[in-house]
Amino acid sequence: MPPVVPNESGRLPEVSAAPAGQAREAEVRWRASRHARRLLTLALAGLLFATLTRRPELAGLAAPALLLLGAGHRGLPSRLGVRAGLTASRLYEQELAAVDVAAETPADTQFDTRWTFQPEKGVEPASATAVSGAAARFTFTVPRWGRRPLGSVSLVLHDQWRLAEGRVSFRLPGVDCYPHPAVQRTRVILSRLPNRLGEHPARVAGEGTEFTGVREYVPGDRQRAINWPATTRRGRLQVNTFAAERSQDVVLLVDATSDVGPPGSSALDLGLRAAAGAARAHLAARDRVGVITYQWGSARWLAPSLGRRQVYKIIDAMLEADAGWARGAAFGRLPRAALPPGALVVAFSPLLDQRFVEALRDMRERGFALIVVDVLNTEPPARYAFADVMARRIWLMEQQAIRFSLRELGVPVVHWDGVTPLDLPLAPYTRRPLVVRR
Amino acid sequence: MRAGVFAAAPRLAALLLGAACVGWTATPLLHSGLAGMALAVSIVAVTAGALRLALLEVPEPEHDYFRSAPVRAWLVFLGVLRLLPWEEIAVVALIWLEVLHPARPWHTAALGAGLVAYLLATHIAESGAAPGRLLRRQAKVLLAGACLLAVGAGFAMLPATGAGAGSALLRVLAAVAVVAAAALVLPA
Repeated sequence: MPPVVPNESGRLPEVSAAPAGQAREAEVRWRASRHARRLLTLALAGLLFATLTRRPELAGLAAPALLLLGAGHRGLPSRLGVRAGLTASRLYEQELAAVDVAAETPADTQFDTRWTFQPEKGVEPASATAVSGAAARFTFTVPRWGRRPLGSVSLVLHDQWRLAEGRVSFRLPGVDCYPHPAVQRTRVILSRLPNRLGEHPARVAGEGTEFTGVREYVPGDRQRAINWPATTRRGRLQVNTFAAERSQDVVLLVDATSDVGPPGSSALDLGLRAAAGAARAHLAARDRVGVITYQWGSARWLAPSLGRRQVYKIIDAMLEADAGWARGAAFGRLPRAALPPGALVVAFSPLLDQRFVEALRDMRERGFALIVVDVLNTEPPARYAFADVMARRIWLMEQQAIRFSLRELGVPVVHWDGVTPLDLPLAPYTRRPLVVRR
Repeated sequence: MRAGVFAAAPRLAALLLGAACVGWTATPLLHSGLAGMALAVSIVAVTAGALRLALLEVPEPEHDYFRSAPVRAWLVFLGVLRLLPWEEIAVVALIWLEVLHPARPWHTAALGAGLVAYLLATHIAESGAAPGRLLRRQAKVLLAGACLLAVGAGFAMLPATGAGAGSALLRVLAAVAVVAAAALVLPA
């Protein structure tokens, strides 16, 4: 089930209720409750002291406890039908989801049931974690993207007299948490677009809807294109010309080598959110979008393609970045399908790994149109020791130098803070087509 | 506010019943070392049980790193309160204290009723079960138990058939047999 996509304003919709999964039989482990153990202690102590001291009134002490224990343990089932289902197995960061659980107790028995949800690390409960009743719903959110085990649910059953305690525990399936896409409404469009039908007005004339000018009529022109006011002014037939509409290939390049900064707003978090937002924006404009995730000298890639499903494919491919070190195809040997010629490459990186910077330079020298979104939002801590101050200054200067060298090569570098819409830093390049010098 | 009162009432009842059992068993005061120790143990156990119930909802932190000394001491105190079976200790200490007194059958039967009430109140307080519903379900059994308590006391008041330990043991066995028979035949 695909997750519900947050709207442009960033507000997440409510999850819809879904039926719990198939009922499955679970084994119930019964044991005496604390109350039963206390009654047993009273009974045994009474009988023991009665025998030792030969005082029959002490045997009477055991009577109520023994009667309660004897009458209480009746008809405890050894197996129980349990249903558990998630409202969504894929969700965005901070999106609410829920797990529905229900027990099918035998009709002729009466139990007090209590459900307890034990979330794993990285899963935050959004409702009470212990609920009484035959069925329960536990809502939760996942604050940070990744593949997360959800945790477990345990059911505690008490018999009518609360003398026996049955326990059923089962693990819940994991969920895929997608990075929350950054808000992006505008797009970077290349000045040279491939000859493929799309939605971006190109510089060449064609059958689009955007008016580009007026020219003299030639035989074969459509009559409906005749511009009558211009014809009247000039005394000869004039026709309107329109821009052709083309699509482009966009390759999102995510640098997963450096994950610096506080968890939740680290460079990798911001990179993935920005890439997800850019993928959604470009796919909405019918561009073909692909992704390359760069990790420690290797890369995972997904060839550019169209359609809404591609958003989820791209995010799934990016989630692999969570797995840490991975051996994939060498970055320099990516196939033509992963990096089509003439594609717009949008890189999301903190620019801390020199090899990644070299790869960007290499890509630029091969003629790709590149734009770098700098997602570095943290600096070394400010300390007072001379060596620390010097190291910090050198580091800052190195960072400036890296960005300067890229700009000198004709690669625009914009900084994104992770809070504002992505349109803001990209504004200078979305207002007019990005001219590529090859 | 109402929920708070409903939660506090069984806890207060458990404390009062525990205190009543201690007071009932301790009178008249015995001046022997064993009796003093049994009394002290029962007082500590009833108090600790009441404290455990009062602090039932206090959460324990998941991680125990970098805690200050008072916080660590508080967590150890909470751990001890929740680890030991205070009610069981109190029951055994109170029966032991009763044994140290000379035989007084009706007094002992009343203590039995008090102890069962104390354990039921503790159970209601910690489980949050509806007291009315729980007691209604068990009313018949509790009534039968009260009758057996009286029967036990009655056995103790019967005159012995002959002198010696064997006669007293026979009375105990008869009382145990009656209790066991009742437990076996009483329907749920």
